[in-house]
Amino acid sequence: MRVKVAVFWGCCILASQYAYEMSVREVLPKLGVELVDLREALCCGDPVRSVNDFAANYLSARVLALANLTGLPNLLVPCNRCHFTISEAKRAVERDEKVREKIVGMLKEEGLEYNPNIKVWHVIDLLHGCVGLKSVGKAVVKPLKGLKLASHVGCQIIRYSDLGRVDDAENPRKMDELIRATDAESVDYNEKLDCCGSHLMLSHPDTALSLAGGKVKAVQGLCVDGLVVSCPDCGLMFDSKQKEAGTTVGAKLNLPVLYLTQLLGLALNIEQEKLGLQLNQSPVDQLLSKVSA
Amino acid sequence: MAKPNLESREKILRKLRGRELINCFQCIKCTSGCTALKLLELKPHEIEKLVNFGFVDELAASDIIWTCVTCLKCVQRCPQKASPYHVIVALRNLAVEREAKAPEAFMKAVSQILETGLAEAYQKVTTRKMEACDRESLKLPKIPAPKEGFQAVFLKALEER
Amino acid sequence: MTRIGVYVCHCGLNIAGVVDVAKVADYAKGLPDVAVARHYAYMCSEPGQRMIQDDIKAHKLDRIVIATCSPRMHEETFRKAVAEAGLNPYLVEIVNLREQVSWPHAHEPEKATEKAKALVRMGVARAELLEPLEKRKVSVEKNVLVVGGGIAGIEASLDLADAGFKVYLVEKAPSIGGRMAQLDKTFPTLDCSACILTPKMVDVAKHPNVTLLTNSEVADVKGFVGNYEVTVAKKPRYVDETKCVGCELCVGVCPVKVPDKFNEKLTQTHAICIYSSHAVPKVAIIDPSHCLRLKTKKKEVCGKCLEACEAKAIDFEQKPQKIKLKVGGVVVAVGSEVFDASEMAEFGYGRFKNVISNIEFERISDASGPTGGKIVSPQSGQAPKAIAFIQCVGSRDKRFHEYCCRVGCMVALKQAILAREKLGDGVAIYVCYIDLRSFGKGYEEFYTRARDLDVNFVAGVPSEIHGASDGSLYFDVFDKGTNKLLEIRAGLVVLANGLVPSADIARINELFHASRSADGFLLEAHPKLRPLESSTAGIFLAGACQAPKDIPDTVAQASGAAAKLVDLLSSGEIELEPLKAVVDEELCSGCRICESVCPFLAVEMKSEKADGEEKVTAEVIEEMCQGCGACASACPTGAIQMKHYTGKQVLVQVQAACAGAEAKGKGGS
Repeated sequence: MRVKVAVFWGCCILASQYAYEMSVREVLPKLGVELVDLREALCCGDPVRSVNDFAANYLSARVLALANLTGLPNLLVPCNRCHFTISEAKRAVERDEKVREKIVGMLKEEGLEYNPNIKVWHVIDLLHGCVGLKSVGKAVVKPLKGLKLASHVGCQIIRYSDLGRVDDAENPRKMDELIRATDAESVDYNEKLDCCGSHLMLSHPDTALSLAGGKVKAVQGLCVDGLVVSCPDCGLMFDSKQKEAGTTVGAKLNLPVLYLTQLLGLALNIEQEKLGLQLNQSPVDQLLSKVSA
Repeated sequence: MAKPNLESREKILRKLRGRELINCFQCIKCTSGCTALKLLELKPHEIEKLVNFGFVDELAASDIIWTCVTCLKCVQRCPQKASPYHVIVALRNLAVEREAKAPEAFMKAVSQILETGLAEAYQKVTTRKMEACDRESLKLPKIPAPKEGFQAVFLKALEER
Repeated sequence: MTRIGVYVCHCGLNIAGVVDVAKVADYAKGLPDVAVARHYAYMCSEPGQRMIQDDIKAHKLDRIVIATCSPRMHEETFRKAVAEAGLNPYLVEIVNLREQVSWPHAHEPEKATEKAKALVRMGVARAELLEPLEKRKVSVEKNVLVVGGGIAGIEASLDLADAGFKVYLVEKAPSIGGRMAQLDKTFPTLDCSACILTPKMVDVAKHPNVTLLTNSEVADVKGFVGNYEVTVAKKPRYVDETKCVGCELCVGVCPVKVPDKFNEKLTQTHAICIYSSHAVPKVAIIDPSHCLRLKTKKKEVCGKCLEACEAKAIDFEQKPQKIKLKVGGVVVAVGSEVFDASEMAEFGYGRFKNVISNIEFERISDASGPTGGKIVSPQSGQAPKAIAFIQCVGSRDKRFHEYCCRVGCMVALKQAILAREKLGDGVAIYVCYIDLRSFGKGYEEFYTRARDLDVNFVAGVPSEIHGASDGSLYFDVFDKGTNKLLEIRAGLVVLANGLVPSADIARINELFHASRSADGFLLEAHPKLRPLESSTAGIFLAGACQAPKDIPDTVAQASGAAAKLVDLLSSGEIELEPLKAVVDEELCSGCRICESVCPFLAVEMKSEKADGEEKVTAEVIEEMCQGCGACASACPTGAIQMKHYTGKQVLVQVQAACAGAEAKGKGGS
């Protein structure tokens, strides 16, 4: 099956988490998903929400208006925070007539139109639901049997349920099932729903790193081969900043962390360089050697 | 003896569009599970009660409202749909409205968006083998910044109360 | 020529404070056929009623219009007063000047007075067309159906049987006893539940006036108050109740293991078993979905129980029965279910073996339960070193059930006290609560007792529960009192799962037309003044099916419901209100629309031969008709009309309303 979707990357992916972008651009087309970029790079408004809620909703609405220009009814948002911010904005615009009027007017000033019918997806539900576990399984050419992994689905795509999220808030299973589709094992663990702390980098960076370090330490204790993430902020905390996080919690952290799409790319036998695996700062080499063995 | 300010409370209620989100009966579930409690002493149940009673001004001027990690566990689990997260966002908005008090990084993000459309500047990163890379060297496409009209409209949006 | 008396009530200041009652009475004097028009402070009072009665005699009045409060308040009162004066009680028209005028328009007295005049004008127009009606007496069955054999059903059955009524007690489980039979001790006295319950169970089974139908459910209900026809479906036990002596030899030889429902699946029983400890009747039952012979339907398979049974009581050929009963009234006592805490996944129920529900704790604590009464962590079978009770699971929660379950706190206090008594002082016991509700007689003292026993009351509940590799649980909980985050580790966590409406309640709703309230439980006729009956005549409510409640309240309600039934049926007849639908056969085209819209199955079609032709017309079964009016509004020819609310009687009010204040002429056709 083939589907064409618009894709919105947000800031974190475009500005620094290149490995996520590379792996999504490589893997998704091989699973039948064609990606169409928006005409502009824009912030969804997440950091603005704490400053001015309305302005944040305006930015998210503008993202949807840009998606509208592609003419495609589906928008892929690979970042958890963007996915949440845009979903909240959609709800605010739907429920509050005054907000809707103002935002529609502002968009008109730039010749843009708000389309409420655009469906917002994340990588997880797009692959699990739209593409389907069966198709993902079929595409696997290099089964990752023997690999024991822990998944970190994050916070903002599973909470809060009333908003309609990507997976169940207390028992998220979709990411684990996608991992299992590669024949790798995905374990359950007590700290599964703990937050990476990325939002606190804006105000309390040390605490943010403590939270991240605490989680990595706990996962390390499970004796798994790696931690899988699917959000650039979580990737930033667990992978890019693993060393600093380790210092903050006074522990030697040594856990391979990679993106779900990087893992899927390995199972699809895509070249490691194309998946951006050289960019991961955590010790992924130990995981990669297990894969090639 | 602290005095409540019902006008400030009204402001928050208007931002929250009603009082449902502060209809808390102090079960403490939010605080028990708060990601920011242990390290930063954030107690969402306290914030709910303080706002409910009208002690809004102190909160808006405090540092505590900037400790929330936005993990959304409190919103998910509250049995009364009281949502401390949304109350904290409303308090943050009020803080900015009054004093422009916000951790620097937030205001920086706003200026960056005005300038380039993104909240962050493009970075140079290094591989594990210490090789420097950027979007160009990684052959990632250039996505243009927003067109000219964007700035003025975004500024207008920031003025909305 | 009708002679109408109009009476405008002040209702103290309730009406007179807004409406100019004198003006309204004056205005009424000028309306057609009004012989007398008065106003008075309290029409419902003795002098007020006497005023009407004297006028009826003195002025030969034949229609009465009373402009007062809602008819729901005093329509009956005025009907009685008028009947005493020799006038048919249905010749009274109530005009509501309080709920429909003075209360909603309290700030516009002038407009309110004009509206009052208009309503009186309408009432007078209708009064002209009122017809005398007679109540009809119907004989009733002096038998009662009690649905549900828990403590509520048992108590109601005993009271009714002692009063001389024949009682059919229907219970869906193989034994009566219900939820109370599963309890270890009861609060606040710590009486052994079985000790106080089993004598009543035996009494009811032995009572000459009681027919016990276990393993049975109500399948169908027809009829009306005083004359219900109930079909009970009795499922086969595959054991002859008259022969089985309850020796349990069969259980010992059965090779099939089955989760034990009575013990909340904490242990296993066999495909043939006695349902519960202290079962009444003490007769074995075979589960056809697990029994090898019944499942495969092969006569050569197994049959070990048949061999072992010395009483020759096993009967694989036993068939389901349909039993038809005629009863005058029903007590619904189907109880409720316990919230399934796996819906609240953050607490790990279903994931962690040592997280259990309050009802599971009861079975563990009960000496006749799976652990012989020893409090243990299910995973290890060892006594825990710390126990944590978490309150309000599934209750007071907008995500699940908004109401308070009423018994959760008292159950937790009881279980905490029992744990202390059984495990000694070395065990740490925590009760994590939102509010602690110990409201009843002896309940606050019970709470004190728990605190005296060093139970730690934590003012706050946890957000999530985690499981360690050794099976113990750990969680953080913030305590309001000390402002500290407590990190608790416990070998056993007991969740105070609330009581929730069961699927049985939904079935009762359908079978008996007994409404449900917003929370899903059965709806009482009035929350304060009529808590024992549903709004459907003849159907009474007892126990947790109406709302979560404890044993004292259940027993009180059950006895009350029984008394109401005695009241209803003891004279052997009841009066039916005449406000029913009636068919004018000349106008009826036999289209059957009325039959299809009637929610009470009160319309039947009958066919008659007239002049060699067959004519099908509708007929109203008066006893079933509830006077809702759906048929009358749907009928295309106006053939079916509501007595006392005919199309003409309604239209004439509309015309009077539109005619305006100056109109003096009669209402139209």
